[in-house]
Amino acid sequence: MFASVTSAALVGVEPSPVRVEAHVSGITTKQTVFSIVGLPDASIREARQRVQSAIIATGHRFPNRRITVNLAPADLPKVGSAYDLPIALGVLAAIGVLPPIATKVVAMGELALDGAVRAVRGGLAAGIVAGRQGLPCIVGSDGGAEAALSGADVRGVTSLAHAISVCLGEDPGEISPADPPVAVVPPPIDLASVRGQSSARRAVEIAAAGGHHLLLVGPPGAGKTMLARALPGILPDLTPSEALEVAQAHAAGGRPPAVGRRPPLRSPHHSATPAAILGGGSGVPVPGELTLADRGVLFLDELAEFPTHLLDTLRQPIEEGWVHVARKGVSVAFPCRVQVVAATNPCPCGYLGDSRTPCRCSSPAVDRYRTRLSGPLLDRFDLRVGVPRVEAAALLGAGGEASQVVRRRVEAARRVQEARGSLNRSLGRDGLDSLPWTDDAGRLLASAMDRQGLTGRGWDRVRRTARTIADLDGAEVATGDHVAEALALRGEP
Amino acid sequence: MSRGDRIALAFLGLHPDRARSLVERHGSPGAVVGLARRGGIEGLDPDRVRGSEACRIEMDRAGCRAVLHGEPGYPAALEDLGDPPDVLFVRGTLRPLPAVAVVGTRRCTSYGRRLASAFGREVAGAGWVLVSGLARGIDGAAHRGTIDGGGVGVAVLGSGSDVVYPADHRHLHDTLLESGGAAVTEYPPGTRPNGWRFPPRNRIISGLSAAVVVVEAGVTGGALITALRAAEQGRTVFAVPGDVDRQASVGCNLLIRDGAIPVLGPEDLIEGLSLLLGPPTRTQDPTAASGLPAGVDGDVLAATRSPIAIDDLIATLGLTAPTVLAAVARLELDRRLTRRHGLLHATPGVEV
Repeated sequence: MFASVTSAALVGVEPSPVRVEAHVSGITTKQTVFSIVGLPDASIREARQRVQSAIIATGHRFPNRRITVNLAPADLPKVGSAYDLPIALGVLAAIGVLPPIATKVVAMGELALDGAVRAVRGGLAAGIVAGRQGLPCIVGSDGGAEAALSGADVRGVTSLAHAISVCLGEDPGEISPADPPVAVVPPPIDLASVRGQSSARRAVEIAAAGGHHLLLVGPPGAGKTMLARALPGILPDLTPSEALEVAQAHAAGGRPPAVGRRPPLRSPHHSATPAAILGGGSGVPVPGELTLADRGVLFLDELAEFPTHLLDTLRQPIEEGWVHVARKGVSVAFPCRVQVVAATNPCPCGYLGDSRTPCRCSSPAVDRYRTRLSGPLLDRFDLRVGVPRVEAAALLGAGGEASQVVRRRVEAARRVQEARGSLNRSLGRDGLDSLPWTDDAGRLLASAMDRQGLTGRGWDRVRRTARTIADLDGAEVATGDHVAEALALRGEP
Repeated sequence: MSRGDRIALAFLGLHPDRARSLVERHGSPGAVVGLARRGGIEGLDPDRVRGSEACRIEMDRAGCRAVLHGEPGYPAALEDLGDPPDVLFVRGTLRPLPAVAVVGTRRCTSYGRRLASAFGREVAGAGWVLVSGLARGIDGAAHRGTIDGGGVGVAVLGSGSDVVYPADHRHLHDTLLESGGAAVTEYPPGTRPNGWRFPPRNRIISGLSAAVVVVEAGVTGGALITALRAAEQGRTVFAVPGDVDRQASVGCNLLIRDGAIPVLGPEDLIEGLSLLLGPPTRTQDPTAASGLPAGVDGDVLAATRSPIAIDDLIATLGLTAPTVLAAVARLELDRRLTRRHGLLHATPGVEV
């Protein structure tokens, strides 16, 4: 009178198998005693009513016995209605409706009182667990496409009865690829449609090639957002496993995961809460924007409008590639290997240095604005370029190079870095020291430290950028010209 | 009319028009000072009246000296004013050289800033004195241009000699004095820069100059007042044309409509001014004098003689962004090029 069915839970964004064990006592009781143990939350405890009704609606008798369901591992907190289907299948197996062999599945889904199966968030996690265990995966047919991103053998079911016949092998449970509830990523803006802005275009290309964080400074309407949105279009494709990680992060965040292998771009508004950006929420933490941008681009528009404390808390996760979120009893780490692109006005009114509109800010106001920005996060931007207003003549003129052309150069530069072992963004001082530099490069750096007050950290920043410029150039040794260009693109000294 | 009484009157810090009418009514500066000492002038605290010794101490502390109307060293050009200041407080050196005022709005665009600084340099290069008001925006850019061009500038303040307004132009003010220029004001040391003190100040700016160049001006504001006073004083007014729908250019375009001479560029300005002031005394172009290096560096320096945005520089030279960026960084390191608010500007006269 014992059976078990596998399901899945998320630890951070990492899917983890959950064994749903059902035990039905041999003694008939006056009433049904149905209990669920193993750190269930309120919605799981309510599964008792849904499972009981669904089983009865499907035409099976619900036994007047003591029924115990355990969700193992018992110390992992579980949330949601996703365990209705595995609990029902477990109970049916425990009372003998299903043979034990038929429970060799990974199941996930919410039951309606009439026995219908609804898809739940986390279908991809179930797919991944099923793939790892080599079992078929049974989910609500609406969630089939999401789970299928895992590459596992996914079956979609519409009702508990349908699920039983799929488990028994009587029905294939085919999922229709016609209506996948997965997000279609809007194509990034093509660089060809960006007019003028030759130095900012160059900076975007270098940022893509070395994964450098990029700061764009310019008046409103100059094209900062356009440039930032063009960045994913020149980044190399994600590998299939990276793409799966990205899909997983989105699924864990309760969003339809994206298909395809383009890196994601997330652009949280400056009024977003720390939990929305870093991850968190009550109960089991869900990933935030940082994690949704994992392996892609985090675009912070109007950087100066973000609360300073939020920017300060972003620094460490961005550096480490992981954000740690602790909630009562659970501490999870979400991945956030993001490239940050930030845009800001040069001053509060936005028109400092503009050729047409006068700046209305007093110098102290400009200084205060700058001070707000100059925090520990700002130090992480290897590239800082001005994005001036484009004159009408340039707007009417020919567009620049297309993203596809630029992407080929970026991909070549990335291959060189892969061969070396790490992305240039993450090169530390030791790594930079061990790379070859010409004497001229060293002289320029020394002179910048001497004359422009370049700091030790700034010195590394310039060298990182210079290395990427050299990679784009196909050069083994970084020369003075590479360093000089990097100096010009690190912002006004 | 003792010298001491006249300085003591100036130390009351009254509006020049009021001081003059009081002197007319009571007969002499001494009488007005005496009246003030007895509390007979409305709104003036008798404690503010200084004896001649106290005046001397305060001037010493502020580092300025008093130059009185009619004394040697008083700028002759101010005689043209209907109401020349009786006492000028001067820091630095007032030179008897032809002078040009370059003025404009504090709320300027980079177009105005760029031209003001280019005019400052050209005026400096021609060996003339540049007069302006040390304000934010156009004034500051013109003064900076003069200093960059190795010239002499005169700042006319709307505050006391020891009060620099805006405070962040302190460095500019000091550099101006160090490079042989002067800061003058008719207000005594310690005077705060109240708004009403600036229109009278503007008549001194135009009064000291043979011509007034308005770079950018709105329909209201000090720059237009200066231009109107200048016209009254018989000074030639130049104005830089701008887009008709651009707020910062409306004033200039109005001046041109009303007969001001349009300025079509730095060289054009020097040509126009030569007709008034005689040929430039220092004709060499400071940038050319240093000898342009061959190749990209030389091209960049030549193209940045007047400030230019980096993207425009790349387009002008027709070279690739990496080439130009690398050249710019090297020139910046050699201090032959400066970058401010995204505009590149060749530094004149710096030998490497």
